[in-house]
Amino acid sequence: MELLNRLQLLWARLGVALVLFGMPLDVFAAVEKETGLDMPRDVSLDGHRITWLINITMWFLLILFVLMVAWMAVAMFKHDESHPAQYDHGDAGKQIAVAMTISGVIFLVVDGNLYINAMKDLDEVFWNFKEIDSNPDTVRIEINAHQWAWDMRYAGPDGQWNTADDVVTLNDMRIPVDRPILIQLTSSDVIHAFNVPNARVKTDAVPGTVNPLWFQISEVGEYDIACAEHCGSFHYKMKGLMTVLSQEDYEAWLEESSHQSALAYNPDDADSHWGWPWKEL
Amino acid sequence: MAVPENAYDQLQAVHSPPTTFIAKYIWSGDHKVIAKQFLWGGLIFLLLGGLQAMFIRWQWAYPGQPVPVLGQIFFSDSGGVITPGHYTSLFTSHGLIMIFWAITPMMIGAFGNLTIPLMIGARDMAFPLLNTLSFWTWFMSGCMVLVSFMVPYGTAAAGWTTYPPLSGNAGTPGWGQSLFVLAIFMTGTATIMGGVNYITTVIRLRAPGMTWDRIPLTVWGQFLTAILNVLFVPVLAGGALLLLLDRWFGTSFYVAGALAGENAGDPILFQHLFWIFGHPEVYILILPAWGFVGDFVSFFSRKPAYWYKGSVWAMTAVSVMSAVVYGHHMYSTGMAPLLGKSFMMLTLIISVPAELLFLNWLHTMYHGSMRKTVPMMFALGTIFVFGSGGLTGLPLATITTDLYLHATMFVVGHFHLTMASAAFLGTFGAIYFWFPKMFGTMMDDRLARWHFWFSFIGLNGVFIAQMIAGYAGQPRRLYDPFQYAFTQQLLGINQITSYFAFFLAFGQVFFVYNWFHSIFFKEKKCEQNPWKVGTLEWSVPNPTPVYNFAKIPIVTCGPHEYSNPVCIKNLGKDWQGQWETLDGSEPQLPGAEGHAEDEDTDDAAVDETKG
Repeated sequence: MELLNRLQLLWARLGVALVLFGMPLDVFAAVEKETGLDMPRDVSLDGHRITWLINITMWFLLILFVLMVAWMAVAMFKHDESHPAQYDHGDAGKQIAVAMTISGVIFLVVDGNLYINAMKDLDEVFWNFKEIDSNPDTVRIEINAHQWAWDMRYAGPDGQWNTADDVVTLNDMRIPVDRPILIQLTSSDVIHAFNVPNARVKTDAVPGTVNPLWFQISEVGEYDIACAEHCGSFHYKMKGLMTVLSQEDYEAWLEESSHQSALAYNPDDADSHWGWPWKEL
Repeated sequence: MAVPENAYDQLQAVHSPPTTFIAKYIWSGDHKVIAKQFLWGGLIFLLLGGLQAMFIRWQWAYPGQPVPVLGQIFFSDSGGVITPGHYTSLFTSHGLIMIFWAITPMMIGAFGNLTIPLMIGARDMAFPLLNTLSFWTWFMSGCMVLVSFMVPYGTAAAGWTTYPPLSGNAGTPGWGQSLFVLAIFMTGTATIMGGVNYITTVIRLRAPGMTWDRIPLTVWGQFLTAILNVLFVPVLAGGALLLLLDRWFGTSFYVAGALAGENAGDPILFQHLFWIFGHPEVYILILPAWGFVGDFVSFFSRKPAYWYKGSVWAMTAVSVMSAVVYGHHMYSTGMAPLLGKSFMMLTLIISVPAELLFLNWLHTMYHGSMRKTVPMMFALGTIFVFGSGGLTGLPLATITTDLYLHATMFVVGHFHLTMASAAFLGTFGAIYFWFPKMFGTMMDDRLARWHFWFSFIGLNGVFIAQMIAGYAGQPRRLYDPFQYAFTQQLLGINQITSYFAFFLAFGQVFFVYNWFHSIFFKEKKCEQNPWKVGTLEWSVPNPTPVYNFAKIPIVTCGPHEYSNPVCIKNLGKDWQGQWETLDGSEPQLPGAEGHAEDEDTDDAAVDETKG
């Protein structure tokens, strides 16, 4: 029964969204597919930092792996039964120093590279919310995740949340190209996770908590939003669409949608006022 | 010269053999029998968990198509098709069953029980009754798991991590999820009983001369595992209890948002409790295998373990650090930046002791004289999969790279290589190695090698391919993974992965046949010490008497004395038993040789008991 109620609610919201905002159905035109086994193409301003750090680490790991296998192969095939074993406990000071040095060098190079770059990328970009929040160019969106869809909310021209001119969409996120997008994210039922692999971002939507994330897209186009936290039987169907528009198209869409919203606004419909005052970061 | 009067003999009773069937096989206090009970139980659940994995793999290769043959039995209500509801139950219970009802009972319940008393020279565990209770508590928890599949709404479905609010009543209604959480609580109780027993046994019942730097690495692995279990399973049990309160009595420890109303709790609280346990748990599931590997590599390279103390320190360091790195499971939860960065630093640091351990294994093999016996093949396989799994943990340790890879199939491949494949190969290596100890005969060598190659190739094929799919962006836990524009090209690699999985499953037939044949039909007995190794369990006959050691042995050397030229010259063999001296004389009690200072505590214990 509960499931049925939820589905009904979901369906009602979908209907409302379609009618209220006059959403053209052609936005569901096919998203460009990926090919091969590489990471999905990166269309964000800073995703390349993550791509680079993962890939260089993979190369380091491959080298270490090959060394390990080679070492094992020598032991297996050269130091086999025909080879007399050395009576050696390996605990002489020099031997310990060699083992410690090898571990230390691997740690400093591989782990050190990861650490330094991750810290730098976090401070400069991915967790640098203060700078993005104070940037006048930033587009702000509130997202409420629920089983099994994404509600998106834009503040509208008045800049205030939960007002008549708010633009609210379902699974339909439209953003301008080349501008920072700052999202505040929560959930009204279970934990979900907002995930756009093409932008290398992922943040949990946790009930009772508002989590921030930000990114900036450099290519006009359409990209899939996935849910990355198991959220029930239809987790796999929890898909949103991110449409990246030119600045003019985005402004036009926002203006028209806001206008339509204001016309259809019902102050008594408490359920639709799920937005929250923008949280200080 | 006779063995000197040994006060240690009087400390531990010599039990007479049980006479009734129940005392012998059911309600037994004998650690060797309990080990076999755990092994049988674990193997049955391993089969169940493995079958579930095959269903998951079928669904990912042929989404929505009826499962051939078995579908009509297990998914008859949907015409043999796996539905989204079935699927969530499948991956949830697969994970929980494999961890708590397959790997834990086999690797810790069976081989902890078997090896600890035998390898340290004790006549049984410190608390035999507690040991019996531990097994039967675990058994009851297993029954609850099986019952959970038969109740309305089905078994647990909130993922093995059981994150609320999804694991609450609103997200996963019905008795199945509650029973499973209660079963986790119960099996946790069994684990704590076992852990207390193992720790006490290792500390108190070591034979004279079995100093801390002479106990086999296997025992070190089990000892550290037991400590981690006793420390951290209670945290999980506490977390599970609060979840049950939420489910049964309407509390809201973990509920927030629209479901909670006025009395909101915090879902993230559960994640902290879960992972404070959960990260030590992944070491719990690998430390025993590290122990086996450390010993086997030395045994079969006929060479002392390289820098034994370094390996012990490395394993200890990993255990100590295991609880302070858990935050790397939660980077995407909106963790405070300072906390996240601290966890990142600590997680990277824990790779250092793991590297040292690895180097020690590689050094042990190098310039050895390797005998590629079946247990050695499994040990080498363990090193290989743990190497690839351990290395790929690095990009999951740092926050930025993890934010892309988190919750993808990359993570699934990574942790299945470490705690599933390494635990699997390590445990089967242990089965082949200690089978003569348990059953007095060897398993068939040729079938065992077939089993090894099918398992080794299958495990690597499945989990390396999963890492490739995850690198390409495939999220985990999707009923139909090909919903997204960035996953649609991945059907091919998913099918290849599934073929490897079916290959792996087929290979287990060699083991099943070998197992039943060797236990029930093989008549040829093996010699007492078939592997020619020097740890104490091989100094007594197979099958071993109830009391293990008629006389408590006096330990003369470390567990890895191979190819010592003096030994070869004097004893005419390349290994020295821990109960043997190099000049062939009778071993002396440690006090008698004038280094009583090492043994103060033990002597005091003897005096107390006598007084």
